[in-house]
Amino acid sequence: MSESRDSLGQTAVFIESARDLELAEALTSAGSAVRRIDLRGDLSTAETREALSDARMVVDMTAIDHDAKRAAVSAFNSYAPSTASLVSFALTVSTTEIASWSTSPERVVGFGFLPPLADVKVLEVAPGLQTGEPARAAAQALAVALGKESALVSDGAGLVSARILAPIINEAAFSLMEGVATAQDIDTAVRLGVNYPHGPLEWADLIGVDLVYSIIRALHAEQGDDRYRPCPLLRKMVLAGWTGRAAGRGFFPYPR
Amino acid sequence: MGGGIVQVAAQQGLDVLLWDISDDMLERSLDRIRGSVQRSVERGRLSQEEADAAMARIQTTTQFAEFGDVDAVIEAVLESIDTKSSVFRNLDESCPEHAILASNTSSLSITEIGAFTQRSDRVVGMHFFNPVPAMALVEVIQGHATTDETMDRAVALGRELGKTPVRCQDTPGFVVNRIARPFYNEGLRVLNDGVASMEEIDRIMRGVGFRMGPFQLMDLIGNDVNLAVTSLIFEQLYDEPRFRPSFRQKRAVQSGRLGQKTKQGWYPYE
Repeated sequence: MSESRDSLGQTAVFIESARDLELAEALTSAGSAVRRIDLRGDLSTAETREALSDARMVVDMTAIDHDAKRAAVSAFNSYAPSTASLVSFALTVSTTEIASWSTSPERVVGFGFLPPLADVKVLEVAPGLQTGEPARAAAQALAVALGKESALVSDGAGLVSARILAPIINEAAFSLMEGVATAQDIDTAVRLGVNYPHGPLEWADLIGVDLVYSIIRALHAEQGDDRYRPCPLLRKMVLAGWTGRAAGRGFFPYPR
Repeated sequence: MGGGIVQVAAQQGLDVLLWDISDDMLERSLDRIRGSVQRSVERGRLSQEEADAAMARIQTTTQFAEFGDVDAVIEAVLESIDTKSSVFRNLDESCPEHAILASNTSSLSITEIGAFTQRSDRVVGMHFFNPVPAMALVEVIQGHATTDETMDRAVALGRELGKTPVRCQDTPGFVVNRIARPFYNEGLRVLNDGVASMEEIDRIMRGVGFRMGPFQLMDLIGNDVNLAVTSLIFEQLYDEPRFRPSFRQKRAVQSGRLGQKTKQGWYPYE
């Protein structure tokens, strides 16, 4: 494992929020040379250009803000070497759509996992319709570098794990909103009744309510099926900034 | 399931009166309970004296008329509204005024069951999970007429039985069966959309911390049972699309691939 773990070479990671630091830090501690690019900053600086022009792989963690995600693709198009691959977080927009923003869609591959990264064993790798072999291999190398198994799946909002878990959390949010039970009782019931590793609401706080909401909203938009209708309570919580553990408040309070 | 509840109650020190439709059925239930208690002894969870004392706390009857002294009843008859109707009318006539009547239903409305009696304020749901001796949860369900005091008494009874009670309102699927639905249903959709194979779906879901993937779990539960629960919640919520069942699971049932119990479900079992 350690032999292949340092094979990534220069990697640039687009960071959208504090949630994304975990992946950058995991790559660094696995021995890769990682340059972070904060998407909240200016992408036309010499520093950004340099970080991208040296990269063999560019990882984009953007999930919530699709304008920022387009900006990341655009910076990849402009500054990354023509041999570099863009490995892009693809739970809230399909790989094929991300690739459609690029001048070289064959170099774009999607991937996904449910944060926190430390808790998952498998990285989902999702080539789009046009993804080429080198980009697919790059995403699988990313999994190896992170010490994860990989699973090759078709692209589309949610991929596998988030497409199953986000509707579970959405249903728990509906149950809470409708007054079926308290947040605490909902989580206790699910943990004890079906042995899930976390209660669904506590899990949402761990993943980030904003990310869960973005996933379910993307599923709703992509599938056009009211089966994925987002619970209005999720939207209100995002608007209120109650996005979970990292924010100090989600479905439960986290006093600092 | 009734046997599991009786066993737990007797082991927790409650005097239990077990009712069934015939002496034959009672004898069979008692045998099963005795076997299960004895296994607890063999596994060192219970001493032989405790086991004997527990069995001695269980009385049996086929007569509702003998319910004159009870404080609480937990009904666990067939999951059919007609059967429940007849049992609850009888219980209402025979039980003392103060007694609460609890139904161990997973899918019927407590409000509807309460309306069969003249004491809907004292009718409540107590939904246990299989196997009852091993599963800590009981959902305590408040029908539209159930009072808070009745809820408190049912919650206290749940604790006396050594369980962790949660309170919920009388809504389709209650908490667990409703919230767990997408685990199966969305797994089926992901398969049907060709996103990944069932083996890969199961591996990915184990990789986020579930003990079993959705297809393994459907095989354990039984596709017939699992599809029936999904279909019932879908109907009770007037075709809410979030619960729309999968034709793929229907095909599994039609082909007799019910799961572990038929040696073939999504996976083969030897």
